[in-house]
Amino acid sequence: MSDDYFGSVLRRRIIFLIIIGMVAVQTLQLVNMQLLESNKYEVKSNDNSVKPFTVKAARGIIFDRNIEILVGNKASFAIQLTPSEYDIEDSKILEKVLEVEPGYIDKILMKYKNFSKYKPRTLLRGVDYKIISWIEENHKDLPGITFQVETKRDYSFGINGSHIFGYTKEIGKDALQKSKDIYSIGDKIGFIGLEKSYEPFLRGMNGKEYFISNSRQKIVKRYNEGKSNIPPIKGNDLVSTIDYRTQKVAEELFSNIRGSVVAIDPESGEILAYVSAPQYDLSIFADVTSTTTWDSLRFDEAKPLFNRGSISMYPPGSTYKMLMAIAALEEGLISPTQKINCKGGLQYGNRFFKCTHYHGSVNMKDAIEQSCNTYFYKLILKIGIDNFHKYSTLFGFGKKTRIDISPESKGNVPSKDYYDRIYGRGKWTDGYLLNIGIGQGELITTPLQLAQYTSLLANWGITKTPHFVKGYIDSQTNEFTSLQFDSVKANVSKSTLKFIREAMFDVVNSMKGTAKNIRMSEISICGKTGTAQNPHGKDHSIFIAFAPFDNPKIAVATIVENVGYGSTYAAPITQKIIRAYLENRNEIKSEKMTINLQEEM
Amino acid sequence: MKIGAKLQDKFDLVIFLSVIVLLGIGIVAIYSATYNHPTAKGNINKQLFFIVASIALLFILYFLPARTFRVVALPSYIFSIFILIAVLFLGKTVYGAKSWMSIGGLGFQPSELAKIGLIFFLAHWLTDTKRDINNLKELFYTVIIALFPIFLILLEPDMGTAIVYGSISLAMIFWSGINLFGLFVVLSPGMILFASLFGTIPFIAALLLVIVALLFFKQNLFISGSVFVMNLSAGFIFEFILKILKPHQVNRIRSFVDPTADPLGSGYNALQAKVAMGSGGFLGKGFLEGNQTQLRFIPEQWTDFIYCVIGEEFGFLGSIFLIAIFLVLFLRLLSLTSLAGDRFGRITIVGILALFFIHFSINIGMNLGITPVIGLPLPFVSYGGSSLLTNMFLVGVVLNIYKNRKHHV
Repeated sequence: MSDDYFGSVLRRRIIFLIIIGMVAVQTLQLVNMQLLESNKYEVKSNDNSVKPFTVKAARGIIFDRNIEILVGNKASFAIQLTPSEYDIEDSKILEKVLEVEPGYIDKILMKYKNFSKYKPRTLLRGVDYKIISWIEENHKDLPGITFQVETKRDYSFGINGSHIFGYTKEIGKDALQKSKDIYSIGDKIGFIGLEKSYEPFLRGMNGKEYFISNSRQKIVKRYNEGKSNIPPIKGNDLVSTIDYRTQKVAEELFSNIRGSVVAIDPESGEILAYVSAPQYDLSIFADVTSTTTWDSLRFDEAKPLFNRGSISMYPPGSTYKMLMAIAALEEGLISPTQKINCKGGLQYGNRFFKCTHYHGSVNMKDAIEQSCNTYFYKLILKIGIDNFHKYSTLFGFGKKTRIDISPESKGNVPSKDYYDRIYGRGKWTDGYLLNIGIGQGELITTPLQLAQYTSLLANWGITKTPHFVKGYIDSQTNEFTSLQFDSVKANVSKSTLKFIREAMFDVVNSMKGTAKNIRMSEISICGKTGTAQNPHGKDHSIFIAFAPFDNPKIAVATIVENVGYGSTYAAPITQKIIRAYLENRNEIKSEKMTINLQEEM
Repeated sequence: MKIGAKLQDKFDLVIFLSVIVLLGIGIVAIYSATYNHPTAKGNINKQLFFIVASIALLFILYFLPARTFRVVALPSYIFSIFILIAVLFLGKTVYGAKSWMSIGGLGFQPSELAKIGLIFFLAHWLTDTKRDINNLKELFYTVIIALFPIFLILLEPDMGTAIVYGSISLAMIFWSGINLFGLFVVLSPGMILFASLFGTIPFIAALLLVIVALLFFKQNLFISGSVFVMNLSAGFIFEFILKILKPHQVNRIRSFVDPTADPLGSGYNALQAKVAMGSGGFLGKGFLEGNQTQLRFIPEQWTDFIYCVIGEEFGFLGSIFLIAIFLVLFLRLLSLTSLAGDRFGRITIVGILALFFIHFSINIGMNLGITPVIGLPLPFVSYGGSSLLTNMFLVGVVLNIYKNRKHHV
């Protein structure tokens, strides 16, 4: 072993090169990271610490046709939980304070377990101020628990409208997965009624606030002094077609009875008032709805959740007689002056079909005015099933009106195929038609269809798809945009309609009219009574009407369940609704009103 | 200038001043990393205390008689082995390794202190005039001296420090004049061990390479055979070590090979460190302005990831400045190897250089994402008393050797 072998120049050089080589590699990497790719890392660094928070947008307001508030918003406290910070030990005490059942918090955590644990979940909405101050006092011991001021629906404007407006619910996790860019956890989404149909208009756009948070997701300060924040955009306000006063009167009239009323402007198809009774209180859906509240609604024998206006199915009763008359006149099957003798009913085969009274000799107008069944038993035999079906369909029966809320049912208009299917080919006779000829039997309609039918009669065979919304007011530009709806036509000759309208006028205004009890000197109401046979109890009272005669502004279909004749219950209700609307529009001259009052006194 | 030259003759200002600059950078970086930190706020004061204490220690060593280190070489090695064994029984487990021990309330890492004993004893052993490193028997003894502390450290287990010990020994053996075959004999078992980390097929491939190399060196059959057997057993020893280690310790070794296997552990830190470095740009975000640092995205940043504090807040300029200071230190140490008065002094400096350099390379490398995350502090800059005292002790040794360079002991 020699001295120059130990620590030789070669060995020193090798070590020198290793040092220089290592420093060179490090310097190259420094140049690469800090000079060439610095931007890429800067973005990552900001992603790390800049945390966006969703600011919930307020939903649009729902106005009546004269811009009076029907459904508004009010402030509400919501408690939120961020799982990444939350201590599960706190659940017991928190559940006690929030007055929820034990395990409630676990359930919420489980529900959203697939979402980022840094995103806050809404624990409870509509929380009392006392609870909020308790949380504020104890916030040090409650990591991950925060509260947010948000808006909730305010129904304190005097209109219930449960089946019109519907309600919102917290968005389900499947829907949330599908539209992550639009909604965030805890967002409310229209679940039924207008809230659902017009969800894209009403929902608005959630805003974002950016904060600087540290590695433990604790907020340190606002990012960029709040300059990068995106303010939430409130949803657009809906201008509905509802007339506040008419709706209010209609709701009051139905406060103690079951049934439904639909009032439409016959020219535009705009729904002026709409009640399905009993209603329910929408404000119970403004916060989290408890299971017991839900069950009490769901299992209520009066079915408050059931939207009678668009889905309940009643036979139309005698209100269908105008349609039969139209079919006969249009097809030239009978002259309006031709008389038929009513001896209190019609013997057909071995069965006697009853009439309400012994009407004697009646022509078509008399038969409508006095609601003679015998006349229409004979008429339907002339009309036959095919024409029955043709004219029913022409006036919108047996199909959906395509109103802007759902669900809606089609009802049922029997046809040859239908009878063949039900009874078998050749196994039914024309006798089966007698019942549907007076609007009973297998014929089934919804109140909404009846209202549309009345509109068509009132407005000379033309109206528009019934709807609840005129348009919306853009929340940013404040501009009103009206929505367009399709026309609905029933191609019937003017002379036929003129005859029918006059007959309907007589129903109310002539001495023998079945609805003469609602006659008013100042308003020319035209209508028709009806009684829907109800195998389960007392008959349903039906009345359809429009007014004024010359220039109809309102068409109404009213059904009162389980009370009896149409003239007794449904007609007076209809009269009051018509009066409420026309008075409000100043269609009634005040002088005439005073005269009328004096007359009554 | 006259005073300066006179001082430089007795005291190497290049080494001393570069170390002081590094300590200063460390103070600034630790201050930033612990600024307003809930638990580590006090670290800056502790570090200042250790800096003062370690400078005092440096001067004590500087003034010690030249012979001292050679005299204490064997006892300090034995003491080192003793404390490395003691820590396995009495130690406290920190981050999965039993590497801490406390005496009278003062905690320290025996594996830091034991570096001194290893360097002194290896220097003494390798510079013995009777020694011929290219004699296989002598080489075998040398390797045993080097491997014994490494074996103990692997039992803690502390992979990083074991690598440091290996590097120190390798550099010193290399310096002492080993020939290519000897180097092969020393390195091949390590290679086999490393290959077996990746599975059976790499292990067999590495063994085949060893056979090819043995044929190339054309040594006699007995020597070739024993080298092969040694290599073969290295693989099985590894299997044996895996068996006695606990699962989490095995995981640590595995994640050394494949850092992505543990993305939330060391992988997370490496990624965040890279983001901190890269986002610093040319000038940096400014003192106390780095969001990665100030928002605590890198856990325990004042220790192993101190470099990315500098990278983020002082940018490319700060980062390259620190590397330049280290480069000055390393090159000066290398040049001192020819100035030192005797072979013991020279090879001691080589060991110290190797120690600083391997720490520097791995630490900076993991901050830059070019080496795996192995928990090694950056000398003089990272927070930590044991490592600072040890490093300053060794700088004191270097200064002492420089002072005595004209005496032949």
